Amino acid sequence: LGRWNKGKALEYLSGDEDLLRELCEIFFRESPRLMGSLREAIEKQDALVVQRVAHSLKGEASYLGAAKTTEVAGKLEDMARHSDLSQAATLFMMLEHELEGLRVSIGRTVEEVR
Amino acid sequence: MSIPDPSILPAVASPVQAREKVLIAEDDPVARHVLRNWLQKWDYEVVAVENGLDAWQVLQQETAPKLAILDWMMPQMDGLELCHKLRGLERGAYYYVILLTAKGGKQDVVTGLDAGADDYLTKPFNLDELRARVRAGQRILDLQSALINSRLALQFQAAHDPLTGLWNRGAIMDVLARETERHRRSGQPLGVVMADLDYFKDINDSRGHLAGDIVLKEAGRRLVAAVRSYDAVGRYGGEEFLAILPGCGTEDLLLSGERLRHCIAGQSFNVGDAHICVTLSVGLISARLNEHPSLDYDQLVRLADAALYRAKDAGRNRVEDGSLARVLKQGAS
Repeated sequence: LGRWNKGKALEYLSGDEDLLRELCEIFFRESPRLMGSLREAIEKQDALVVQRVAHSLKGEASYLGAAKTTEVAGKLEDMARHSDLSQAATLFMMLEHELEGLRVSIGRTVEEVR
Repeated sequence: MSIPDPSILPAVASPVQAREKVLIAEDDPVARHVLRNWLQKWDYEVVAVENGLDAWQVLQQETAPKLAILDWMMPQMDGLELCHKLRGLERGAYYYVILLTAKGGKQDVVTGLDAGADDYLTKPFNLDELRARVRAGQRILDLQSALINSRLALQFQAAHDPLTGLWNRGAIMDVLARETERHRRSGQPLGVVMADLDYFKDINDSRGHLAGDIVLKEAGRRLVAAVRSYDAVGRYGGEEFLAILPGCGTEDLLLSGERLRHCIAGQSFNVGDAHICVTLSVGLISARLNEHPSLDYDQLVRLADAALYRAKDAGRNRVEDGSLARVLKQGAS
């Protein structure tokens, strides 16, 4: 549960639980697509695409108060900007791990909200 | 300066009545959803696109939103490039641009403002931040639209007679000068009509200037209604009107002159409880300017005026033709 700071997310959203739930739904719909693009770009060693997709992931996660995901995606974006993909695969695995954790903790809370 | 009757002012969109539009250009669906959700709650009409190119297309439309929230990093065209393009537009309307940047992003805020953004927001922003920035933008846009409206009103006042709402003397002479040269080029005949209310001074003297004003206003309204929508009617002097009828040969012009005379004489004027009979004397001229290279717009007015005097001399409430063939023939005899 440490992965997700619901209070922080609600702070951004001025306590709008409905909006938070909608955002979570969008995030879970979008993140697999983004992760797919990211995996493909890392395999092709396409730093430009890695940078762009990591940026998107960072932006979306930041709204949900998913601090760790935001941080890891931001790191990947920065490294890709400097055309450094040496840590990309490791960071990708960390992201996958984080997202899985998020899915569980957010999913549980979203159910509670409902 | 007297304020013209609001009913004759051009229609200008009021910012209060219509729902304000705002453009969101953001490829991130989460941020897009947040923006849309809040802006709609504040009663904005939201247009949302996912890349800079679509945003550029939306902003070039006639009824484009004037407030734009642009993500810095977007596919196809980023927010920065879009700012540059917007500021390069040669157009009166001002776009208020709020640029979205990612927290901890390397983008320099100064770069964004230099590119022409008015303000910026760092993602993730909260509700209060967004509302404050959007309000600041709205204030600027409201001010802008108030300025545009007052400029339009001034433009209107500068070219129109405040009493009748017709073109004033300067403006109708501009129209005539332009039409004269246009017709000289096209070879089409140009019709010019000088008309004067008969015994108008008597109305002023016997019923007062207020009654005179009512008659002038009503006469102006009738004259405009009696000509085609693309003809121009101006108040040339006190009770004297000048009408320009593009493409009008002598025969058609005589019919129009008669119609103008009749629209005044055919129906009495209601002033308070009184019904006043008013008549109109008309002098007109139709000329093919390509056949008379030395004839200018000033002389057209003088010829129409001379015909008007003949109409007055011959008993008023009539139409006299001052067309060249006639004038030349008279000169020869």
